[in-house]
Amino acid sequence: MSEEKKVGAVLVVGGGIAGMQSSLDLAESGFKVYLLERSPCIGGVMAQLDKTFPTNDCAMCIMAPKLVATGRHPNIELITNTEIENLEGEPGNFKVTLAKHPRRVSAEKCTGCGVCAQECPVEAVNEFNEDLLPRSAVHINYPQAVPLTFIIDKTACIGCGICEKMCKANAIEYDQAEEEQDIYVGSIILALGFDEFNPEIKKEYGYGIYPNVVSSIEFERLLSATGPTGGMVLRPSDYDIPKKVAFIQCVGSRDQQCDKSYCSAVCCMYSIKEAIIAKEHTEGLDCHIFYMDIRTYGKEFEDYYNRAQDEYKIGFTRSRPASIREDPKTRNLIISYIENSEPKEEEFDMVILSVGIDAPKDAVRLSEKLGIELNEHNFAATKKFFPLSTSKEGIFVCGAFSSPKDIPDTVAQASAAASKASAMVSTERGTMITKREIIPEKDVRLEGPRIGVFICHCGINIGGVVRVPEVVEYARTLPNVAYAEHNLYTCSQDTQEKIKEKVKEQNLNRVIVASCTPRTHEPLFQATVSEAGLNPYLFEMANIRDQCSWVHMHEPDSATEKAKDLVRMAVAKARLLEPLKMATLGINRSALVIGGGISGMTAALGFAKQGYKAYLVEKTLELGGNLRHLRYSGTQEDPQKELASLIKLVEENENIEIFKSAEILSIEGYVGNFKSRILSENMEHEIEHGVVVVATGALEYEPTEYMYGKDGRIITQLELEQLLAEDKINPKNVIMIQCVGSRGEKVPYCSRICCTTAIKNALQIKEHEPDAKVYVLYRDIRTYGFREDFYDKALEEGITFLRFDVDSKPKVEVASGRLKVTVKEPLIDENIDFNPDFVVLSVAQVPDPNNEDLSKSLKVPLSKDGFFLEAHMKLRPVDFATEGVFLCGSAHSPKFIDESISQAEAVVSRACTILSKDYLEAEGVISIVNSDICSGCETCILVCPFDAIDKDDKGKAKVNELLCKGCGACVAACRAGAIQQRCFTDEQILSVIRSAFQEVST
Amino acid sequence: MPDFEPRILAFACNWCSYAGADLAGISRMQYPPNLRIIRVMCSGRVDPVFILDALSKGVDGVLVLGCHPGDCHYISGNLMTERKMRWTKELIEKTGVDPRRLRLEWISASEGERFANTAKEFTDLIKKLGSIQKEEKEKIFSELKAAEKVADESRVRILMGKERELVEEGNVYGDKSTQEDFDRLMKDILDDEHVREKILQIAKEKPLSVKEISKRMNMPSQEIGKHVMWLRHKGKIALHGIKKRSPLYKTVEVPY
Amino acid sequence: MPEYEPKILAFLCNWCSYAGADLAGVSRFQYPPNVRIVRVMCSGRISPRFVLKSFQEGADGVLIAGCHPGDCHYSKGNYYTRRRLTVLGKLLEHVGVDPRRFKVKWISASEGGKFADVIKEMTENVKGLGPQRSFKRVDDDE
Repeated sequence: MSEEKKVGAVLVVGGGIAGMQSSLDLAESGFKVYLLERSPCIGGVMAQLDKTFPTNDCAMCIMAPKLVATGRHPNIELITNTEIENLEGEPGNFKVTLAKHPRRVSAEKCTGCGVCAQECPVEAVNEFNEDLLPRSAVHINYPQAVPLTFIIDKTACIGCGICEKMCKANAIEYDQAEEEQDIYVGSIILALGFDEFNPEIKKEYGYGIYPNVVSSIEFERLLSATGPTGGMVLRPSDYDIPKKVAFIQCVGSRDQQCDKSYCSAVCCMYSIKEAIIAKEHTEGLDCHIFYMDIRTYGKEFEDYYNRAQDEYKIGFTRSRPASIREDPKTRNLIISYIENSEPKEEEFDMVILSVGIDAPKDAVRLSEKLGIELNEHNFAATKKFFPLSTSKEGIFVCGAFSSPKDIPDTVAQASAAASKASAMVSTERGTMITKREIIPEKDVRLEGPRIGVFICHCGINIGGVVRVPEVVEYARTLPNVAYAEHNLYTCSQDTQEKIKEKVKEQNLNRVIVASCTPRTHEPLFQATVSEAGLNPYLFEMANIRDQCSWVHMHEPDSATEKAKDLVRMAVAKARLLEPLKMATLGINRSALVIGGGISGMTAALGFAKQGYKAYLVEKTLELGGNLRHLRYSGTQEDPQKELASLIKLVEENENIEIFKSAEILSIEGYVGNFKSRILSENMEHEIEHGVVVVATGALEYEPTEYMYGKDGRIITQLELEQLLAEDKINPKNVIMIQCVGSRGEKVPYCSRICCTTAIKNALQIKEHEPDAKVYVLYRDIRTYGFREDFYDKALEEGITFLRFDVDSKPKVEVASGRLKVTVKEPLIDENIDFNPDFVVLSVAQVPDPNNEDLSKSLKVPLSKDGFFLEAHMKLRPVDFATEGVFLCGSAHSPKFIDESISQAEAVVSRACTILSKDYLEAEGVISIVNSDICSGCETCILVCPFDAIDKDDKGKAKVNELLCKGCGACVAACRAGAIQQRCFTDEQILSVIRSAFQEVST
Repeated sequence: MPDFEPRILAFACNWCSYAGADLAGISRMQYPPNLRIIRVMCSGRVDPVFILDALSKGVDGVLVLGCHPGDCHYISGNLMTERKMRWTKELIEKTGVDPRRLRLEWISASEGERFANTAKEFTDLIKKLGSIQKEEKEKIFSELKAAEKVADESRVRILMGKERELVEEGNVYGDKSTQEDFDRLMKDILDDEHVREKILQIAKEKPLSVKEISKRMNMPSQEIGKHVMWLRHKGKIALHGIKKRSPLYKTVEVPY
Repeated sequence: MPEYEPKILAFLCNWCSYAGADLAGVSRFQYPPNVRIVRVMCSGRISPRFVLKSFQEGADGVLIAGCHPGDCHYSKGNYYTRRRLTVLGKLLEHVGVDPRRFKVKWISASEGGKFADVIKEMTENVKGLGPQRSFKRVDDDE
């Protein structure tokens, strides 16, 4: 490996959300990326989703900017419709042979206009819309597809030649042949994702026979505004709106019969989400979910589940239905199930099968080509302490291909895999990338404003309510508007190109996009404007979707008028926009990592491997955190051995400086340039660093319930582990009680790890003493993913699981020296008494109370549960909204070891996108002082929350451009009007106010 | 119906059949006066839309006359005609009208007698079949209008035009389609387009639910629903309120 | 004559209330189309002048919304807003603006429903009050 020259490029296989995230991180950290995708475009399954849980964000809305960013990144080479043929070489220098399948449409020439598809005479099965709406033989998967290049589906094409005749760009190339391409990369990331379970296999549910039985992904399309029914929930037999629908969970999950023993980890949440959205779309809809255990184990998931029950009145029945039959007359479906040992039947209009996650179809073929091992379920085999590594050095895995997981866990792993993949070739950083072309900025100061207005239909999201062409016509009449047009999707890549073209062609010097919200899309359009040679601040948005078409869906006239007003207001502001120059600053290429547990150590080591210095701060005397108390991993790995070797690596690494029994006295500064004071072993240190990582972990809840602390035989799981490991006890009869603290009043969320921990320790007891009796009293068993295999093993080993209802919790007493546990079994509705040797409490994981102080000094938020709150629940799981500050591990929410490691590695990758840069640019929207007017009264200094204003030697106020965050409080406070906020000047805002009521010109 | 005098339209190609008709005249051959001849340069010019339009306006029978195979002045125009007429008959059949009301014949410039005989035989046949307006006139006409629109659909026109090339010469990939495969494809397309046209016709007057449309068309709602979604996607039909739990759809009238 | 439709101008901070208004959209909460939104980075940026100008130009109602106290993206911007606008509210009342025409609300990024409700309520109230009689422009410095 060391002999051969390493290559500063990485191959990412799979273009779903994971592949995109890995690629973007690597590309932003100075590596060349080849992003390989089997299908014609990137986006993966997430592109098919309507909303995402638990925030109900629109999936396409949050993903579209990433799609475009991936498509336009100069360091990412997209290779679609292509598969891996062969792998040779060594880690650090692989030669990968790719088989490129013919697209039959030239990627260079196709403009994505879609005329070919309109004229194509063939209708074929539309995979994207799950066969609910046909597509043509020449097609794209979805309107925002990247690359926006059509493809001819040879299996459907009859070769009539019409598309070739219609294509004005001469992009049709029928004679394209299979091609081979060799690429050289240092490492490989497998982000293959997953395939859906085929519900036809579960014959008893009648999928494919009864029209009103649909799969969850089909239902997702029915909910989507871009789907076949335009977002109306209709049942397939007669296209009526259903009154009563049922979801059946675990179709193709937790099912030995169809060889899918594992839990698919996401179905409970997505079903709750689909039920909530369906109810929102359909008045008076009754939704019912049949489940085995509800597994809402993630951050804010339990809250979502509670809201589904309390607010949305979604019914939940604990039962796995035996079968479905159809009433041939009404085509309604009758579900047979057993509840509380009683056979029951219930009729529904429609049934949704919550299909599980299968290993990707390509897994076996690819594993053979690459020489990596798969686990028994055909997913990539990984180890607990190495969740991102495959069995082959230099090949990493992330996302659902290593185990079923949701989007945030997938995104975290994607970043994490990028960190691992780049660490291998960190010496080659920057050797293969395209230096970003600096586009000379046009000087517009002496020109009058020439505004271009681009108005988006957003499919039907805007165009279905607002009469967009009319708004365009109106925009054309506004003063200084030189050009206006409408687009199906203004955010799509082809429109970006078009905007650039129009800026040049029409000599525009201001650009307005009227579409969705600037909160998500402004950066994208600003980048486009900048590529067109304009200063990015000569851009303005009008929010005519989120704040107009979506909220006035039934008032097309008023909505159209409002859209015109909003465009007019944007024009009023755009007219006064000025080019801004951003200050740049150097970067201190080191990281401060707060917390010396598994997450903090992993992160510190990650930074060191990337060639950056890390300061690791641990408040106790020893590294290791909670992991120090873990004795069993449930797998072959010994936690203490793994921990010891990690500590050794961290302590021996010269790039890592460790502060033990340390306390952070202060953190000042901003991204790239932090200054912190640390008190360690009574010595004060001052360090400078570019990023901060919060890895402070979580604590164990100290129970007050179940007589804890009153009797030595009532212990926690951690205490049990300790006693077992030290051979101090040999229990023969144990009761474990789950959800101690969790899912209750004190700790409203699920602590995620306790079910698996209990089972792990129960099995350990059995190993010590095979005849021991272990009873686990639980509410729902939440052994998600492959942890389900553990649960199965526990059942095989004779461990007894007894469920209790939340309102009749078990009772623990000590009667004449003996422990007595009473639990009401809901199935038989009777109390059962036990006299165990030990009662083991599975206690909650709770946030560190010190979080509050840390959150204040870092200016980052906490969630309502007291954990740190990331920038975005779905797509930015380890970033804070504050640039340069990151979080990982249990400080984010309770986590398993492998998940903490993944997040820690993810943080390294995210931080490297900053640390690898030559310099950083400050914000553009900041305050500036006109010192001619400033009287030096110091009011602004008092109100500035960031201490960004000082006085200069003449006694006038002066803003530190790098500290100013651009809130504008000083501007409103200034009594002389001496401070202005760029982009939000008084003049601009007053002009917007005026234009809200009437047309104004300069 | 002893006094029924059918109205018959004949399309005749300039080079063979029209000359044949002239020859019948020069030779003073007698044939029934029911025929009106429209001259076209080639029988290939005869658009299925013309035929369906004629029938829907009350013409009782249509003759399409062209050169014998191999004799076409434009090499292969008549071969295209032959294929197109087959599908036109298929469409006529869908409307419930007897497809024998359309007949294709090859008549050369020297076959004056054959022209006269054809005219006689066809007039006799149509007389026997009776007036196209004899019963349920409105229904028949609207059926024919629907069929005409199907014939005018771009995908139908493309395939009718491309049939010979695809079956005899090979497609853009150099592959030939078998006649059976092509027929299956074409039949499916005609079926789909016909159903869609019928839906648009039925939902023109007032908003209807998928169930109501399928009842009127005597087809399963599941199938009709798919077509309605497709039409809605294409902007040809629009949601027009909801009755109980059934969304209602109405045909969008094209402004022009 | 059509029913009187008031015009309401809303100044929303970028991080909470503007996001809340977006969320109302994402959740498809319907509210009357009478409001026009002006985005500012922080409610602390809103100068009393903006409010007066709005009434001068013909607004029938003005809404200011920012992050909940304690939630400000800029730590304490919304505290300034609160103090400043309390005084302004009294002033407006003094010059004859019904207090129902001028509202300061805290709306978080997750309160789409609240945003819609606030707009509904305010539109209804202002509708009931009828058009705001125009302010006389004493000094117009534009």
